Amino acid sequence: MKILYINNIFSLFLALFISISAVSQNSAFKSTYAPMPHSNVLLKNGNIFDGDGNKFLNTDIILQDGKIVAIGKDLPRSMDLEVVDATNKWVTPGIIDIHSHMGVYPAPSVTTSSDGNESTSPVTADVWAEHSIWVQDPQFALALKGGVTSFHVLPGSANLIGGRGVTAKNIQRNTINSMKFPGAPHSLKMACGENPKRVYGNRGQAPSTRMGNVAGYRKSWIKASGYLSKLDEYENKSKEAKEMGYKPQRDLELETLAGVLRGDILVHNHCYRAEEMAMMIDIANEFGYKITAFHHAVEAYKIADLLADNNICAALWADWWGFKHEAYDMVQSNIAIVDQARNGTGCAIVHSDSEIGIQHLNQEASKALAAGVRAGFDISQARAMKWITSNPAKAAGIYDETGSIKVGKNADVVLWSENPFSVYSLAEKVYIDGALAYDRDSGFEPASDFDIGILNPAKNRIDE
Amino acid sequence: MKSSKFFKIYVSFCLILFNQIAHANEILITNANIYDGKSDKPFVGNILIKSGKIQSISDDMFDAEKIINANGRIVTPGFIASDTEIGIVEIGALSVTRDDSPKIYNIGFSIFDAFNPNSTLIPWNRANGITSALSLPKYSSSPIGGLGSFFDLNSELNISGKKDMVMIGRVGGSSSKSRAETFALMEDILDLAFSIDSNTIKSDSEIITFMNDIPLVDYLDLHVRDMKALYKLANERLPLIIESNRASDILKLIKLKKKYDLNLIIMGAQEATLVSSQIAENKIPLIVNPINNIPNSFDELASNINASARLEQAGISLMFNAPRDHNYHLIRQGAGVAVANGMSYAGAIKALTSNFSNAFGISSKGVLKKGASADLIIWSSDPLEPSSIPEKVFINGVDTSLMTRSLRLRDRYIKNLDKPNTYR
Repeated sequence: MKILYINNIFSLFLALFISISAVSQNSAFKSTYAPMPHSNVLLKNGNIFDGDGNKFLNTDIILQDGKIVAIGKDLPRSMDLEVVDATNKWVTPGIIDIHSHMGVYPAPSVTTSSDGNESTSPVTADVWAEHSIWVQDPQFALALKGGVTSFHVLPGSANLIGGRGVTAKNIQRNTINSMKFPGAPHSLKMACGENPKRVYGNRGQAPSTRMGNVAGYRKSWIKASGYLSKLDEYENKSKEAKEMGYKPQRDLELETLAGVLRGDILVHNHCYRAEEMAMMIDIANEFGYKITAFHHAVEAYKIADLLADNNICAALWADWWGFKHEAYDMVQSNIAIVDQARNGTGCAIVHSDSEIGIQHLNQEASKALAAGVRAGFDISQARAMKWITSNPAKAAGIYDETGSIKVGKNADVVLWSENPFSVYSLAEKVYIDGALAYDRDSGFEPASDFDIGILNPAKNRIDE
Repeated sequence: MKSSKFFKIYVSFCLILFNQIAHANEILITNANIYDGKSDKPFVGNILIKSGKIQSISDDMFDAEKIINANGRIVTPGFIASDTEIGIVEIGALSVTRDDSPKIYNIGFSIFDAFNPNSTLIPWNRANGITSALSLPKYSSSPIGGLGSFFDLNSELNISGKKDMVMIGRVGGSSSKSRAETFALMEDILDLAFSIDSNTIKSDSEIITFMNDIPLVDYLDLHVRDMKALYKLANERLPLIIESNRASDILKLIKLKKKYDLNLIIMGAQEATLVSSQIAENKIPLIVNPINNIPNSFDELASNINASARLEQAGISLMFNAPRDHNYHLIRQGAGVAVANGMSYAGAIKALTSNFSNAFGISSKGVLKKGASADLIIWSSDPLEPSSIPEKVFINGVDTSLMTRSLRLRDRYIKNLDKPNTYR
């Protein structure tokens, strides 16, 4: 294999890209994330799933200055590299969960910190999940030990339009800005089906039906389109004309929706049933926005080709079902069917929506893969690894920076004790931007403020 | 001569008939890698099933009408799910499909008559390795109350199982009252249970007369059915599952077990590691979810992914549960996670099989031995790998169907795609 070293021009371009995309975002609540002090590491002789669908056996990886700088056989050891023997072990990109409620539904699950659903109005595009995140949630560290290096936190699904989601690096810190993934776009959470119509219908308020749901989305997008026209009109004026006229009044709700129409904010749509997903695609076409991913999508297998044709990912569980009527038609090969649609151009993601599931996304992918193979699909483990790495990275808009083991990308890397498709495999070392964030052998791991001295004043919670 | 010839013909006819009858329900599984549910090591052998029971489990070869070569695959007892709503809840959020809670009765509420053998959860969990399950009602307003039943997951309308074999209860943090009152109430209820004598229980009118003098009966709005269930709890040492997590609560429950000689099983037990020696000393089995390491309440702060391994080390008998939501077979994945985090493999298999039968006194289930129910599974690969799947599932000796609604739906969307889906 060819040895590739990082291209300095590439990193320059990357920095430029990040600063440009930041301009189009709100200037408040900017990411202040800075990596932890990195180590320069040679992961020696490991077996690699690169997250882009490839498997490389007995191969080395060099992590340097927070980036992946080389992948290849028998890479030269230089003096400043710490060598980690990965023989008979496996290396993958950091796992990414595209559907998490960590921080907004933290542990312990108490009413005073249950901040994921602003269920006071069916459209709350003005709220941002990051403003609810409790940074001391002990769940972040548990997810880290499951190999999760980045995760996307969404508002809940009580509302038709629930607000903005945020992508974070899994380095727990005492402000959310210092955890936010630099340059990552916001998402907009939308929800179909039973939840919004139940929450508001029970109050004798719209929506109380699925047709009420659809009317609700469309009314919002009509308002958003009008707002965007005014905004565009103002922005297209000459400098002089701008001084003469008034700038359109800021509107938090419409700013978010207009951000979607401009393509700056990615739509993540909770939707179970096939016919509802098809309708959501119609609505997106009607108003000229794109749906990045359907979430939960228990019936995605019924419209897998439609999803592939529209370049929409489906973020799915391996086997959850039956808790609601719209989740009744589960098939275990849902993920595989989505993946294989239109000659393998489908985009399948294994998501968790669960503080336990997020710790074992590799096992969830393993179940989904096994079901796909039983259904007769020829899917490799290397390909299935995409479901929890590069595909969620693409859906979060961070694929250029992370989500696969590729020269130039962030050194978000997990060393596994054995093949990660086995239940017995444990994450041994987790690197985030080249910094060792978890080390099973030495017991190096974060503890949130919540974990400190809460059972035994002299110990951490997890050490009990 | 004549008679002797007749006799010979008669005998040979009988033999043929006998062989046919014998063969018709004899199945031999050969070359199986057997985890029998009780031994610490697997062994390779053959299993002869006859009349729904295990007739032999050994190296011996037999002739049988049906011989299945397991080709060295793992064979285990059918796994038992110890904490489910199977057969009593079809769709979680659809109340018309929920039969898990009463309106009038509480302590004596039994879910048995609600059990639906045609529930889609039954083939689903069976095809994923669960052959029987304990179905439990929702917790009632009383800290002790509600009766659970045990069912074979064989989809037979003629239900086989064990009715009202366990009572449930719960204690812990609550937004409505102090746990101190819950414990006081628990003791009051247990005092009441042990005060009902065999004469009182003889007739409903005797029970009604007895109930007249007791304030607690009014307070909890108890009925004759509830009193009968309490009598059973006290006099038949009905297993009592109490869901409880905090270490101090577990110690209080141990005191109650001692005081009333309860047949106590603790479920949840997220802080059991803090009091494991006391639990072991008092031989209290636990039902735990080995994959749940979330400090989900202030009662569960000691939750830890290595809890199962540590509890096994302490000598405690464990059973596994999964969230009460359809996929009860996920106890296999939980068991795998327990092993990945230090539990012994054989111990994890026992937690899915014989630990249940020992805790609940159902000796014919959860173990592969001569005379036991032929509930067994031939696995595609390691059953603790969630990617594995049963290739054969026998329940009471019957080679059950592994078809599910889910598989039917799958095939509808990957085969014959030239036709509209509703005509596939």
